Amino acid sequence: MSDAATPKPAVTHFVNKRPVSQRIVDHLKREWQIYLMLAPTVIWLLLFLYKPMYGLQIAFKDYSIFRGVAASPWIGFDHFETLFASEQFLRALKNTIYISMMSLIIGFPVPILLALMFNEVLHQTFKKTAQTIVYLPHFISSVIIAGIVITAFSPSAGIVNTILSWFDIDPIYFLTKPEWFRPIFIGTTIWQEAGFQSIVFIAAISGVSPTLYESAVVDGASRWQMMWKITVPSIIIMLIIRIGNMLEVSFEMIILLYQPATYETADVVNTFIYRQGLQSGQYDFAAAAGLFNAVIAFVLVMTANSISKRYSRTSLW
Amino acid sequence: MQRLTLSAALLAGTSLGGTAFADGHLMIVDEPLELSIQMNHARYPRYDETWPVEKIASELTGISLRDTTVGANTRTSENDGKTEALNLMLATGEIPDIVGSSRLKDFVNQYGPEGAFLPLDDLIAEHAPNLAAFYADRPEIANAISAADGNMYYVPYLPDGKYGRGYFIRYDWLENLGLEVPETLEEVEAVLRAFKNDDPNGNGVADEVPYFARQWPELIRLVTLWDGRSTGSDTYHDFYINAEGNVDHPYAGEGYRDGIAGLAHWYDEGLIDAEIFTRGSSSREYLLSEDIGGMTHDWFASTAGYNESLADTVEGFRFEAMLPPASPSGVRMEEHRRIPIKPDGWAIGVTNEHPVETIKYFDFWFTEEGRRLANFGVEGEQYTMVDGKPQFTEEFLTNGEPVNNQLYQVGSQLQARGYFQDYEYEKQWSNQYALEGIDLYETGDYLIPDFLGVSFTADEQRVYDRSWPSIRDYMLERQQGWILGNGDVMADWEGYQQTLQDMGLQDVLEVMNVAYERQYN
Amino acid sequence: MANMNLYSRNDRIFVIVNMVLIGIFTISTLYPFIYIASLSFSSGFEARAGNVILTPIETTLEAYKYILSERMFWVSYGNTFIYTIGGTIMSLLFLIPGAYALSRPQIYGRRFWNLLVAFTMWFNAGLIPFFLNMRDLGLLDSYFGIIIGFAVNGFNLILLRNFFEGVPSSFEEAARMDGANDFQVLVKVYMPLAKPAIATVALFCIVSRWNGFFWAMVLLQDEDKIPLQVFLRHTIVTLSDDQQFTATLVNASYSVETVSAAIIVCSIVPVLIIYPFIQKYFEKGILLGGVKE
Repeated sequence: MSDAATPKPAVTHFVNKRPVSQRIVDHLKREWQIYLMLAPTVIWLLLFLYKPMYGLQIAFKDYSIFRGVAASPWIGFDHFETLFASEQFLRALKNTIYISMMSLIIGFPVPILLALMFNEVLHQTFKKTAQTIVYLPHFISSVIIAGIVITAFSPSAGIVNTILSWFDIDPIYFLTKPEWFRPIFIGTTIWQEAGFQSIVFIAAISGVSPTLYESAVVDGASRWQMMWKITVPSIIIMLIIRIGNMLEVSFEMIILLYQPATYETADVVNTFIYRQGLQSGQYDFAAAAGLFNAVIAFVLVMTANSISKRYSRTSLW
Repeated sequence: MQRLTLSAALLAGTSLGGTAFADGHLMIVDEPLELSIQMNHARYPRYDETWPVEKIASELTGISLRDTTVGANTRTSENDGKTEALNLMLATGEIPDIVGSSRLKDFVNQYGPEGAFLPLDDLIAEHAPNLAAFYADRPEIANAISAADGNMYYVPYLPDGKYGRGYFIRYDWLENLGLEVPETLEEVEAVLRAFKNDDPNGNGVADEVPYFARQWPELIRLVTLWDGRSTGSDTYHDFYINAEGNVDHPYAGEGYRDGIAGLAHWYDEGLIDAEIFTRGSSSREYLLSEDIGGMTHDWFASTAGYNESLADTVEGFRFEAMLPPASPSGVRMEEHRRIPIKPDGWAIGVTNEHPVETIKYFDFWFTEEGRRLANFGVEGEQYTMVDGKPQFTEEFLTNGEPVNNQLYQVGSQLQARGYFQDYEYEKQWSNQYALEGIDLYETGDYLIPDFLGVSFTADEQRVYDRSWPSIRDYMLERQQGWILGNGDVMADWEGYQQTLQDMGLQDVLEVMNVAYERQYN
Repeated sequence: MANMNLYSRNDRIFVIVNMVLIGIFTISTLYPFIYIASLSFSSGFEARAGNVILTPIETTLEAYKYILSERMFWVSYGNTFIYTIGGTIMSLLFLIPGAYALSRPQIYGRRFWNLLVAFTMWFNAGLIPFFLNMRDLGLLDSYFGIIIGFAVNGFNLILLRNFFEGVPSSFEEAARMDGANDFQVLVKVYMPLAKPAIATVALFCIVSRWNGFFWAMVLLQDEDKIPLQVFLRHTIVTLSDDQQFTATLVNASYSVETVSAAIIVCSIVPVLIIYPFIQKYFEKGILLGGVKE
């Protein structure tokens, strides 16, 4: 990782008698344009994202904004201990993984399915109108979506209980029932985001111009080969990133929908941290939790990435 | 500032107030002095140099303020703990001469002892006679705002008035059913049951919702009818001072247990809004305008207002205050009162080169003239003096804009400023039903003292942070579960107590009591 | 293939079922928008009481009158366009060459560069260090700061890189023969081929800029530079009266609910207008696995 300047591993594969430095110069002479194109992005990343990353160390410090990061005292793993000391954290971790897994298993195919279904629609006006509409909920704030969900599931006037009453089923106070929280939450987020995410897949399906396909067909590559080469890797990349975001359950929506009575199934890592931090508003504790999330995410991504690399030759890096 | 409103511009142009008592006795400095200020509050995110009230203050004192607010657009809310503007300001390392904000207390009490803000005790004793007199008069306030190192770091906003929330019931419904206003727990239960079963709204459908609340903790408030407690301050689920004078938590007491058991029965029987946990802030509008809500516990001012706004919509509508019903032991308790002290106010930055002038300036707002300016705005504009007392003008009260919003626009009633509110200001625009309700509560002694909070040392804070949030979650989880019929509080009580101990409630109470002892005795 | 009739009948049933399912889903996703629109045209009291379900109650234009007469509404609306257009162009200027470079197999340290990008998707510095960094760079309280400060996004970069990687090298061979350099290959060969992909990434940039508010709130001092979403938040704070006094607004013909609904409606309309233009690029892409052809 750290040997970017002198990329030895790449070199050893070649049988080449010229000195390394000479070959680098040659390479740069030939390929300088690529590096020039890469430079703005790399400089941007270093300047805007990596430079302030010294801030991560506050996860191990008793951070005082007044003293600053450097002068705040080290306290080791105190924040992490606080995090793990609580049984509720472990419960939240379990809930997070459960909700994420379910969202992934149910939620990941839905936009793909939707994209494929859109593809089968031949009526162009219908198709275009529908595509424009399905991504609307993405633009409507969680507060309003949550309000609609609460109304829909209300025991007295909600549409769900009204329908249930046709079948002589007593009204259920869904939002206070732990067993109902996850289906409602997962269903809501899938419904809200499926339209927008399907755009990603529509783009993946049609990601490259027709000319490309046409030429490819001429070249003898079948459409399936093309799809294999372009669409599938995109979906795999998306899947890897989703796996990496396993601990990032849309917490705003949960805050709006959960109740103490449903913490048991609804509380996730982010909501737990939100309530913990609320008492004292501590950045250091939040940083510790964030770091924990990031490390887990990275382990998951690396695992998913190397599996993907082995079997599909697609990888994030 | 471009946000100068039209009304403020007009007022500024015709300002008379300054001349009324501009004899110089309030002048602090010989040469005009300018101090920098950070002022952030949700409703006035930065200091506005054109506020008419501020212009008069600087004419009188010779001190003017210059806005240097950082993070103004984050708008520090009154309700949640977020103080991003303050954090950003501190992070820049440039602390202005004066820092005013909502949610200031915890911030200055953490960073004051670290050296970001000046301790005020000596400055007040030497240079601020009005503030000193105020604290001498009410030592509990000085105690309550002190940091763990014993120093005061901010001058708070001090609300005035005693009554906040009260019980409201449909008097016309009681009349329809031939019932009296309930005086005891049993009578409340009987009335709620009658509301449920006897069709007080007369529409032939049992659609009445006997007890409802905008915020579900106002349901938990009812445990006071069983001699329990729901909180010790104006913050829900807060600690309280028990009969022995120690800090304790209400959700560990037996009155609470009995109350929850009773409420679970009520909920099961339909005496409580079935959707109380999710209906939210619209419930009052909805249930009252649909003529189905019977009783609640809520703010006097806003709840009484429905008698006017719904007079035409709901025939015979009378939703008026009733006294707190007596518990089995005969106690009538109104648990909620206006807290005498808020975590809002202002402080002096450590780099301020004029601390003496600044504390004198803070003190100015506690003089008679300053306090009137802070409460009523500009004389001749918002108010006139009638019999030696400020009286809002008729035009000001009846122009349709909420009075508090109008006052913010001229720089009055700013809670990011340290001042002592005058209840008279609110009284003058409260509606008659609210005043009648408050008069009713004035007839007895129903209020109880608030727990004003403690300031922790870093070690105490760590103990508290580690255990308390989880304990609180657990308490609320069980509380709601019991009311919804998920478990029986009587049967579960021992296990509940045990779990609280296992989670470290005793440790939390211990640090609370140590801090309390240090701060108040 | 032997039984053409059966095949096409199944086909037709499939097409109809498919359309019905999409129709139902589409209507359900339209509901929140209908709800918001109805709310924005209802009276303040009815909106607050939660009586609006499908159509406006006590129809009124008061909420729109209120926001359209606010100077800050227009100012912030204009700002949102500046941030969205400026930010999207800026992002593409970084992302397209960056993604192209990352997709080149011959680049040294390719794995390292890609890892450098991926890492930022999960590890971030936190509020205060990022804020201080922006301050040190002199980018607080400026349009340019908001536009450049969020130009690169790891997800978009990797997405675009992936599209570039999928293009067979045979495409650029002809251009290379003609002596084209990498810039020319990118502009003349890859960009036209990847139009739908670029449109997708542009859409993501537009959406995140359009909806973004948090950093604008933190980084901008001057109220005249805030985007519409921050104005929406400010309006909610200004109009929601404290607990204690809510009833004072009860008779107003608008309320915080109707006014914020009106702002949301105004903010969604441009999105509805813009989307078909971007959609065009998707449509040009080939239909894979389609029933026809």
